[in-house]
Amino acid sequence: MTFQDVLIQQVINGVSLGAIYSLLALGFTMVYGIIELINFAHFNVFMVGSFIAMYILQALGLNGQNVILTGFSLVGVLVVALVGTMLLSGALGVLIERTALRPLRGVPGTAAMITTIGVSYILFNIVLLTIGADAFNFPNPMPTVRWGEAGVVLQLREVLVWVVAFLLMACLNYFVRRTKMGKAMQATAQDQEAARMMGVEVDRVVMITFFLGSALAGAAGLIFGLYYNYTNFAIGYTAGLRAFTAAVLGGIGNIPGAMLGGIIIGLIESLGGQLLEVRWTDVIIFSVLVLVLVFRPTGLFGRATAARS
Amino acid sequence: MVSPGTRTWSIGEALAAPFRRLSSDQQRWLILTLVVIGALVFPLIDRNEGDIDAAANATAFAVLALGLNIVVGLAGLLDLGYAAFFAIGAYFYGVTSSWQLHPEWSSFWEPFQWLGVVAHYQAMGENVVHFTLSFWIAMPLAALVAAFFGVLFGAPTLRLRGDYLAIVTLGFGEIVPIVVRNWPTLTNGAMGLNGVQAPSLFGYSFGVTSSPYYYLGVALIAFLIFVSSRLKESRVGRAWMAIREDEIAAGAMGVNRVKLKLLAFAIGAGFAGATGTFYVAKLQTATPDMFMFPVSVMILVMIVLGGMGSVYGVVLAAVILQLLQSWFLQDLSGWLHVLGRAVGNDWMQQIDLTQSIELIFGIILVLMMLYRRQGLIPATRATKALTLEQQTALPSRGTIDVDLRVVAPGELKPGTAMLEVEKLLKTFGGITAVKDVDLRVEPGSIVALIGPNGSGKTTLFNLITGMNAPDRGRISLLGEDITGLPSHLIVERGIARTFQNLRLFSNMTVLENILVGQHSHTKTGAVGAVLHTHAMLAEERETREHALEILSIFGNRLMPRLNQVAKELSYANRRRLEIARALASRPKILLLDEPTAGMNPAETIELAHQIKSLRGMGLTVFLIEHKLNVVNELADKILVLDHGEKIAEGTAEQVHAKPEVLEAYLGRKVAHA
Repeated sequence: MTFQDVLIQQVINGVSLGAIYSLLALGFTMVYGIIELINFAHFNVFMVGSFIAMYILQALGLNGQNVILTGFSLVGVLVVALVGTMLLSGALGVLIERTALRPLRGVPGTAAMITTIGVSYILFNIVLLTIGADAFNFPNPMPTVRWGEAGVVLQLREVLVWVVAFLLMACLNYFVRRTKMGKAMQATAQDQEAARMMGVEVDRVVMITFFLGSALAGAAGLIFGLYYNYTNFAIGYTAGLRAFTAAVLGGIGNIPGAMLGGIIIGLIESLGGQLLEVRWTDVIIFSVLVLVLVFRPTGLFGRATAARS
Repeated sequence: MVSPGTRTWSIGEALAAPFRRLSSDQQRWLILTLVVIGALVFPLIDRNEGDIDAAANATAFAVLALGLNIVVGLAGLLDLGYAAFFAIGAYFYGVTSSWQLHPEWSSFWEPFQWLGVVAHYQAMGENVVHFTLSFWIAMPLAALVAAFFGVLFGAPTLRLRGDYLAIVTLGFGEIVPIVVRNWPTLTNGAMGLNGVQAPSLFGYSFGVTSSPYYYLGVALIAFLIFVSSRLKESRVGRAWMAIREDEIAAGAMGVNRVKLKLLAFAIGAGFAGATGTFYVAKLQTATPDMFMFPVSVMILVMIVLGGMGSVYGVVLAAVILQLLQSWFLQDLSGWLHVLGRAVGNDWMQQIDLTQSIELIFGIILVLMMLYRRQGLIPATRATKALTLEQQTALPSRGTIDVDLRVVAPGELKPGTAMLEVEKLLKTFGGITAVKDVDLRVEPGSIVALIGPNGSGKTTLFNLITGMNAPDRGRISLLGEDITGLPSHLIVERGIARTFQNLRLFSNMTVLENILVGQHSHTKTGAVGAVLHTHAMLAEERETREHALEILSIFGNRLMPRLNQVAKELSYANRRRLEIARALASRPKILLLDEPTAGMNPAETIELAHQIKSLRGMGLTVFLIEHKLNVVNELADKILVLDHGEKIAEGTAEQVHAKPEVLEAYLGRKVAHA
């Protein structure tokens, strides 16, 4: 493999990773945009989402990589798994919002943030105590389809990740920009009080934001499993931190920014891992986070609220 | 009502009765003494080495919790990577007092050998350096190193919203163990440091028994309680709490937010570093796994459970959690096993509750935040009670002659305006909020700013007080340019303000609010606060006296409520308190943003009189007001703003006669009808 091949291969890997981070970053950025809260529970909603996806696929009769589907049956299974995972993860997000966060709306200071840490910890430990610390073989019905020769290889799983992520982001974009509820979300993000006076039900908007963010985290959990062929109780922490960095990089509160930020972080991870050593990846990404905050706290694509102190 | 004759006494009550007769101060001392004695004799009574060891570990975490309490509890900065600073301290001592590094001996090391920091080791063909830094020197040095890292990573984020600190510290807490793991030459990687030298004191080596470490830990706790309590009741601690309560208002009262946040962060990190040396000395080993995220969360749980900002609560919570981990969960599991055997339930026989400790931590965090945010022992905000003499020695309203004039009449050059604004412009996106405004406020006058809602009045105030930077134009105070200065420096120059929607430090007392108001012209730093230096005590006395003088302007409205928490005050009293807090900064000019908003007519008249008397005391007042009777009564000059532009200026009669003003208020048709 020439150096160029390696580079192209790592870009393919990076964009795939980045797509997962983008989906996850969207949840952070949407919630932050609406209620200015860093939702640490999001880390583990993603992790729980990947387990939900695993169980749905198993319920559909898939186990490990033994069952290979093609054509409509493959698409059908994936759509069912995706929709099911998103609905259940979204419901989990709504549950968290209703029980743990709504009572704290308007409480100043760090209370809500600490609560999300607690919720995240609860999810993490429930999974650890009930399901266990093993890495689980994630069912994957996709046939191994490769394009390209020895040098650069593009696999079906990567194409799938891209397609799913792209479709979901396009839907989200449509929802936020074109629908009535999406406009209510934008209005609430800009000025909650004014939105309320204009008849926007803020509680409902917040609930839907949590639903959407968590549903996207669930989708990210599904494609994480399909991409890596495993899931585990600990995947939320690293992925969550990277996705949050992506959200900050894109300008927190900025939806297209989160998408692009995710891709950039994915590329940094794959190329950085190639150029340096993989064990330093977290250090590189953390450095990116600190550098962005020092030099461009509003993110690459900016939003004024970020720098407000 | 139970009559005394028929009253029955239970044994508990009988025992508690003498205790109740003590004053609350005496009660506190009694409890404290008992706790201290209990802590000191504990290893002598309980001879079980395992128990003492667990207790010694608990002291380390209690010290950590006290350190983090300064950051989270007092300053309100959420630090999720506290274990990283703990690790830095631990590895600092671990590396400088073990065989981990052993470079070849050379003459370079001789001065260090003379200082006792290294030893020359020659045996079996080896000729190397052995690091033997004394524990007692390592501890403060580790604190400094950890504080340095705290500043390094705190500085970029502390300028931003507090949320960012949470995520950056989370990331920092994540990467420090990674760096430790991946840098084996320095840290021996995942295998961990070994053979860390035990501390010794006057020739007595602490060795591997737990008791000496336990006592050292107790001493550290006592030291930290002392430091935290002194800091909390000082200018520095009050500024931290003000930042926690309302950052913008803290800035407007002269608190340099970045500097104070960094200070809190560095002090917290320093305490963690010092504790790291203690912990690693006790275990005589250090591995990266000892400093992962769960440690940071556990310390946070201690603070949340005990009560943010509550020194004793935090220690209590540390003890409770340690008891839970070391004893209670094990015992409970044991009982469940017995019960399981009795009823023949397999699941109950195998249950191990100690594994669920982290789940319990998560549940504690959520439940405490939802149902008891103040923690088990709420942080008391006991400000020292004033003597009756102090309270009554001051004149009440009407006879007061406090001179608020901070500019001597001779100091003023004739023709210099107190406040002058020239061609001031501010746009937000496409909206011009303030458009080329010129204005002058003469010394000793009351100027009122009126205009319809959204006409840019508050924005103008924000520009003058440094909350927003103007796009263009110049603001000067007594001829000195102050354009673009940060808000805390503007207060220092002599412009104080109140806010339209009240920005008090709600969980601080009336007195504390006013003491924060004096932040800009007091000096005590962290060291002075801890040592209670002569200068600090004098300053503290003086600020308290000044606070009482200021409060006396409002007669008996606020004076009896000195130690009440601000959020408990009535609405009108909160308005008064905000004015008092602004006055406490000894301003040359006072900016009041709708001071009588929400007050009833009687209260409005009272306040209007008080504002008038402020002018009598030499103060210049610039106010935004909607109630035209107040404006007409008070103002020497009225300025009218509409759509960001000044449309009229003059006395009440002049302004009311202007058609533009009527138009702005009533609309074109009505005005021309």
